[in-house]
Amino acid sequence: MKESRILQTICYIIIPILVGGIILSTISIITKNDYYDSEKYFQSDSFVSKYISNLSYETSRLIYDNGTYYNLKDGEKTIYYETDGLDMQIKNMYFLIIYKNKAITNVELTEETSTIDSIKKYINENNNSKRVSLINGEINSESEAIQKRGIKYLDSFSKGYYTVNKSNEGEYRDYITTKLEDFEIYTSYLEEFAEDSGQQIAKEVLEDIKPLGEYSYFIIPTNVVLIILSLLYLIISIGHKKGVEGVALNDFDKIPLEIIFFVEICIGCIPFAMMSAIEGDHKAIISLIVTGFLLIYILGSIGFNTLIKRIKAKMMLKTTITGRIILFVLRIMGRFIKKCQKAIDTLKYSINKKTKIIVYWIIATFAVIIIYALFYDTAMLLLVMEGLITFIFYKIMKVAQQYSQIEGKLQEMYEGNNQNKLYVEEFEPSFKKSVEYINDISNGFENAIQDRIKSEKLKAELITNVSHDIKTPLTSIINYVDLLKQERIENEKATEYINILDSKSQRLKKLTEDLVEASKVSTGNISLNLEKINIVELVRQALGEFEDKFQKRNLKTIIDAKENEINIMADSRYMFRVVENLFSNISKYALEGSRVYVDIKKEKGEGLQYKTIVEIKNISKDKLNISADELMQRFVRGDKSRTTEGSGLGISIAQNLTELQNGEFRLKLDGDLFKVELEFEVK
Amino acid sequence: MYNILVVDDDKEIVKAIEIYLGKEDYKIYKAFDGEQALRQIREAQIDLVILDIMMPNKDGLETLEEIRMEQNIPVIMLSAKSEDIDKINGLNIGADDYITKPFNPVELIARVNALIRRYTKWGVVEEKESKTLIKNGELVIDDELKKVTIDGKEIKLTPTEYNILKFLTENKGKVFSIEEIYNHVWDGEYYAAENVIAVHIRHIREKIEINPKEPRYLKVIWGVGYKVERI
Repeated sequence: MKESRILQTICYIIIPILVGGIILSTISIITKNDYYDSEKYFQSDSFVSKYISNLSYETSRLIYDNGTYYNLKDGEKTIYYETDGLDMQIKNMYFLIIYKNKAITNVELTEETSTIDSIKKYINENNNSKRVSLINGEINSESEAIQKRGIKYLDSFSKGYYTVNKSNEGEYRDYITTKLEDFEIYTSYLEEFAEDSGQQIAKEVLEDIKPLGEYSYFIIPTNVVLIILSLLYLIISIGHKKGVEGVALNDFDKIPLEIIFFVEICIGCIPFAMMSAIEGDHKAIISLIVTGFLLIYILGSIGFNTLIKRIKAKMMLKTTITGRIILFVLRIMGRFIKKCQKAIDTLKYSINKKTKIIVYWIIATFAVIIIYALFYDTAMLLLVMEGLITFIFYKIMKVAQQYSQIEGKLQEMYEGNNQNKLYVEEFEPSFKKSVEYINDISNGFENAIQDRIKSEKLKAELITNVSHDIKTPLTSIINYVDLLKQERIENEKATEYINILDSKSQRLKKLTEDLVEASKVSTGNISLNLEKINIVELVRQALGEFEDKFQKRNLKTIIDAKENEINIMADSRYMFRVVENLFSNISKYALEGSRVYVDIKKEKGEGLQYKTIVEIKNISKDKLNISADELMQRFVRGDKSRTTEGSGLGISIAQNLTELQNGEFRLKLDGDLFKVELEFEVK
Repeated sequence: MYNILVVDDDKEIVKAIEIYLGKEDYKIYKAFDGEQALRQIREAQIDLVILDIMMPNKDGLETLEEIRMEQNIPVIMLSAKSEDIDKINGLNIGADDYITKPFNPVELIARVNALIRRYTKWGVVEEKESKTLIKNGELVIDDELKKVTIDGKEIKLTPTEYNILKFLTENKGKVFSIEEIYNHVWDGEYYAAENVIAVHIRHIREKIEINPKEPRYLKVIWGVGYKVERI
């Protein structure tokens, strides 16, 4: 959703109005009839607590000698007459509190009320007031609420005071503890006490918002829904700008969130801090409260805006101090863990490499230090020592690790993998020379291998090109021999010669083709397309191709496949070439009328791997006076003087193709038994 | 009588081809390099070109490109280059067929005949449509008459061979294993040790394909099965 400034502003403005609506409606529901009624007020706990706390407050004043001082006629007691600090609550009540030889009252001292007794009388005989008295810890009241529940608030009379006494020798402080029984209290309150106790204001306000109460069941849910919608809109729309992909962060959003919040809290506190300074002025306080909340709301919405943006841009971690610290700690921890792992690896390696002693020594040293530290308070020395040992340990680890790197490289070279280079500059000075030598040897190796590959490729290319040059004249030879054959030639000898020419030219053709293939296959100069193929199906298909040739020589094939489908990863075409070459060999060199066995089976290999083995067995018609190795060499055949059409490359091509397809090719000769085993991993 | 242009820098090879094709009642035009070939094509009404690749002046591939810019006559490449990549190159540029040297004269003649039939028949004889006619390229199976023709030539198949070919042609492009073909064509239970199907398929290939080792219609996917290529 794209950001619309106007809609957002509206949201920001209506949210506080809606919240206010909810608050006022709620108040108007809760306070529907309460507090309106002074009857109810006088029954409430709030009244009781207020009344008693007023008295308690006045007792403190009495004890602190706070107030205007009068000497009453009876002379024995000093009366403090309450004049200042009179607030509304005290206005509609009268009290006389007597403590030892002091008393405090708010009854105006006139002729009639110039003695304690007359004041008592004034309070007790005031017609439209309710009397309360507290003598010897006993409450006596016309108010049921105070009579019944006042007792739980009376604790406030029993407390300790530090008072300042003046004497001729100067000021000294005194500590006084009071008990409820110390006080004699006469008091009464007027009906108006309820109005003056602050309920009046509430009453007026509540009167104003009363209509809200009537609609509150409509206003509250509506407002809640509207607030949620506004917030949702804000959350969704914040951060999106026209024409900008994703969430747009400005410079403000990059200031750490904690700083923004801190500054906001500071600013937000200002009005409330000012409040304490201008205590007393109600109007000023109210206006400050309003300003304060407004300020808090504005600051809050700024904070909300940037918070949402950051969350949406997934930048919370990066734009807060806490986040940065977390990231930093994570990074440090990651590095530390890596280093630890490396160290552990190296440690394992070192242990393998008979450097156990060093490791043991280091562990022992640490152990000694730890034990030492338990008994002596020489922490500083130990820290230095530990640091030193850690450094030495680190160095040893580094050397061990670099040593293992060098050995790894040597092992790689030994295995024929020559890809990774060592970087001389990373090594300790003592290793630099060795590393340089190793790199030189490695380069030499690499070049030699490259040269070999290049020359093999060149050889294959040469053979291919030469074969093109041979093929052209060969075409003419074959064609004209063929044409000669079609001529009617009476001379028998000439016919015989032509037949020889025909068979030899055909053999030359086959030889050229096989030569090219063999050279390509042996240099791996073909592109393979390995896929899942069913080797059982392939053998059946191949046998179908050779059926006639086998029949001609009266060879019987016996297939033994345990399953109908055994899949291997191979190139369909080249895998057929392998089998074709083997069958072609059999069709040429197997003993006439013998049986050919083809076994296809799955065997358990190392671990969980299964392997497929294709075993082809036949009886050779000629004596095999040659080793299997020799037979697999190019251009070597079982019987060197044989003149059949083969090129002698078939087995070699089959072997190379099998190996290129990640298979194994095994040839076994046992008397006249000729056995080939192909092994593949099962897929 | 169709005019065939034979292009090869080896005069003896051109001569030999002339002898072979002459027996088939074709009129032979000769050229010994690409330039000559292009000139001949512009001057005479040539129906088919046999084109060598490695030639002086202008090699076969360049010549083929130029021929294709002007005409759509069938071209058979004839080359000593036998790598897959050479064949793919030639066919991509626009050759209709690719024969490697040394070639089998019988195969060359068969391919020339097939191409001539294919090209000259197009748009000339409108074959009568039949419900029982299964067609794939030049392979036509008339199920009513149980007759198979390829390039207009009738092929004699045994009933089993016919059923296999019909089944594969009806599902052209799809590969079927030996077992699947068996189950579709035979009624009996499949007996794993049999390789009858493989033998039959080879026989069909020998009958319908010019070169059974490089089939055009009935292809072997080794280790997977058989299919009739969708043409």
